[in-house]
Amino acid sequence: MTAGSTSRRRALLPLALGLALAAGPASASAQTLAFMPVSSISGPIDLVRASGAFAYVTRGETLTVFDLTNPAAPARRGSHAFPEKVWGFTVTGSLAYVAAGHSGFWILDVSDPDAPVLRGALKTPGQAKNVAVSGARAVVADHMSGIDIIDISDIDAPAAVGSVYTDGYARDVAMFGSRAYGVDHPAGFYVLDMTLADPLEPVGSLQSASAPRHVEVVADTPGIAVLVGGVPYDPLRSLRDAAPDDPRGTLQLYDVADPAAPLLMTTFATPGDAQRAEIEGALAYVADGPAGLSVVDLSTPEAPRVVGTYRTRNSARDVAVADAAVLVLDGTIRRGSHSQDDGDVIVLRQTEN
Amino acid sequence: MNRIVPITAALLLLALPAAAANDEWPQFRGTEAGVAADHPDLPDRWSQTDNVVWKADIPGLGWSSPIVWGDHVFVTTAVSEGEEPQPVKGLYDPGDEHGKRDAVASHRWLVYDLDLETGEVRWATELRAAVPIIKRHLKASFASETPVTDGERVYVYFGSIGLVAALDMTGEVVWTRDVGAFNGHQEFAPAASPVLHDGRLYIVNDNTTESFLIAFDAATGEQLWRVVRDETENWSTPLVWENDLRTELVITARRRVRSYDLDGNVLWELQGMTGNVAPTPFARDGLVYLSSGYPGSSVRPVYAVRPGGAGDISLDPDNPTDHPYIAWFQPLLGTYVTSALVYQGTYYTLLDRGLMLAHDARTGREIYGRRRLRPGSGFTASPWAYNGNVFVLSEDGDTYVIKAGPEFEIVATNPLDEMTLATPAVAGGKLLIRTQSKLYCLSRGGGR
Repeated sequence: MTAGSTSRRRALLPLALGLALAAGPASASAQTLAFMPVSSISGPIDLVRASGAFAYVTRGETLTVFDLTNPAAPARRGSHAFPEKVWGFTVTGSLAYVAAGHSGFWILDVSDPDAPVLRGALKTPGQAKNVAVSGARAVVADHMSGIDIIDISDIDAPAAVGSVYTDGYARDVAMFGSRAYGVDHPAGFYVLDMTLADPLEPVGSLQSASAPRHVEVVADTPGIAVLVGGVPYDPLRSLRDAAPDDPRGTLQLYDVADPAAPLLMTTFATPGDAQRAEIEGALAYVADGPAGLSVVDLSTPEAPRVVGTYRTRNSARDVAVADAAVLVLDGTIRRGSHSQDDGDVIVLRQTEN
Repeated sequence: MNRIVPITAALLLLALPAAAANDEWPQFRGTEAGVAADHPDLPDRWSQTDNVVWKADIPGLGWSSPIVWGDHVFVTTAVSEGEEPQPVKGLYDPGDEHGKRDAVASHRWLVYDLDLETGEVRWATELRAAVPIIKRHLKASFASETPVTDGERVYVYFGSIGLVAALDMTGEVVWTRDVGAFNGHQEFAPAASPVLHDGRLYIVNDNTTESFLIAFDAATGEQLWRVVRDETENWSTPLVWENDLRTELVITARRRVRSYDLDGNVLWELQGMTGNVAPTPFARDGLVYLSSGYPGSSVRPVYAVRPGGAGDISLDPDNPTDHPYIAWFQPLLGTYVTSALVYQGTYYTLLDRGLMLAHDARTGREIYGRRRLRPGSGFTASPWAYNGNVFVLSEDGDTYVIKAGPEFEIVATNPLDEMTLATPAVAGGKLLIRTQSKLYCLSRGGGR
């Protein structure tokens, strides 16, 4: 996903957090953030994202806008139906970039939240699963072709640049500046440099120590990439008699200052089972499965620590951070299933603890 | 059963000469695991019109391969009486239910015999009409098992209805057996083809009810033995491995690769396959090659195994390089559906999303790493080779002709412009490619 602007969300960080972070590791065990539910958006919902005062949720092929100007009373605004299920999307400014399966990559203008307007589209080589953007480039995690690179300098006519092969099934992508990052299933981690004349080979790749679900970039520390939801990776696992059962998702922090040689810094076990994260500043808001929402402070990458939690009724599947609220998608998680028949978005207000 | 026999068939058979040695491609991938004898008539360029000797419409949907004996070309198909959803190309996340689906309507299961020279249908025998009781993957068919022939009879196995049958060369049904229709745990429908050896027909079906390996007397259909297998799903065709020490029946599967003697006793077994096992084991130059490789799995192994193993020959995960029976091992080289090819000493891997790799077949040393064919094209048919070239056929119907050797070089791309999953057959200087609706016979100068 895209590394979001940090400045617009500073308001979320209460003074107490700043003090706690300044206090350093000595207060690592302290919980500094608390959350209070103020409303909800009824599902079933598959995915949730946020930008400014708006929430964007999908169910199947439909993306719907909600106004969170008053977080206690989310107001449904417009919607748009794509030809296929929305597998992943990101919202930057007034544009939503959507990965919609075999129908490919779509750009939706949401500047009028009551009437989203389709701008551009591009059929990707295979099944578009997720998308990230930076500047004039978009990258799409494509189940078939790997990571598709798309020129979006003309949003009405996005153009294919090419595809980077990934060893497994591409799952997620992130961008920061001219760098793009991708993860595949089971364990590939790829770094792309968009400044190269031919960016169609990764400048760095490795089989990570985990099988990640998502990749995020720490905007405050561009040299850090976070693989979310990784479970232990072992290519010889099937040969072992005692393979671990139901491994829990983790956060894997990689130093990507040298893009050719990503270096694992930390594997951090969140309280639950990390499904997805959104990173704001040095904080990772983690949809942490049965543990609900976990907020992890990454300001000391070698020693992440949990600084806030909110226990959901079911399992946290997705998360988004809006100007004045944290949105947690709460529902069931069924292994091996791609869509659920439940899932409500819980709108949380962040408070001091 | 309903037979449709053109009146000329019997007369034609009387006039047949004995099949020459390289006029036969009697089973899935032929007798040499995809390697055909060189022949000056075999083409390296073709299209829907160029070098086409003939093309014939094949009704229904069947991803089984054609086989050839003399001038007989046999194909199987399942014809729906309704409008079934079209299969979707590529590797993709099919969403809920993992893409499994019920048939819309009743089907008819048929065997065709076409004249290799003309494409004329000699006969078509309908073996059963029924509503399929099992599901299939939206990309699969109810006739995915390739038939096998010994020149006296053609043997078919339709796992989706549990029917094993032998037909003589005129299309008369010699015997049938019902072994039950079962599905694997993902309910994608079976696909493992039958194999023949020394008067016996072997059928494997791994499913969630009772997985089995059965040996039939090929002449009579008498069941000689049946062993229960501890597996729940498998699409891999067994291999009859005639090595220097013995003849054994090698079957790859999810839990274990097992080798059986010809009485159904396990000789050796090996664990370490991926979840979805489809590539067929094959033997070349004294080694048997075992692989599996679901792309979303961290387990995608290739094993090159020497003969003589006994008991559990699984690798020690803490010491995977030193083993008396495993000549080499690659943990992440296995393919999902395509089977590999050994040609002129090189092990060619065709990754299902369109990349080629080459390794030394004896040692596993890399000759060249991933070379891309075309982004976005899926590959299901297994590669084949002749006349110094390796051929790989995409699901789009494009065949890439790759020069065999240490350098990767695409020398031609030959389009047929229709979805294609079946592995081709090569016999008598002709190449037979089955697309979704047609069977093409291709040869140099064909169609002129």
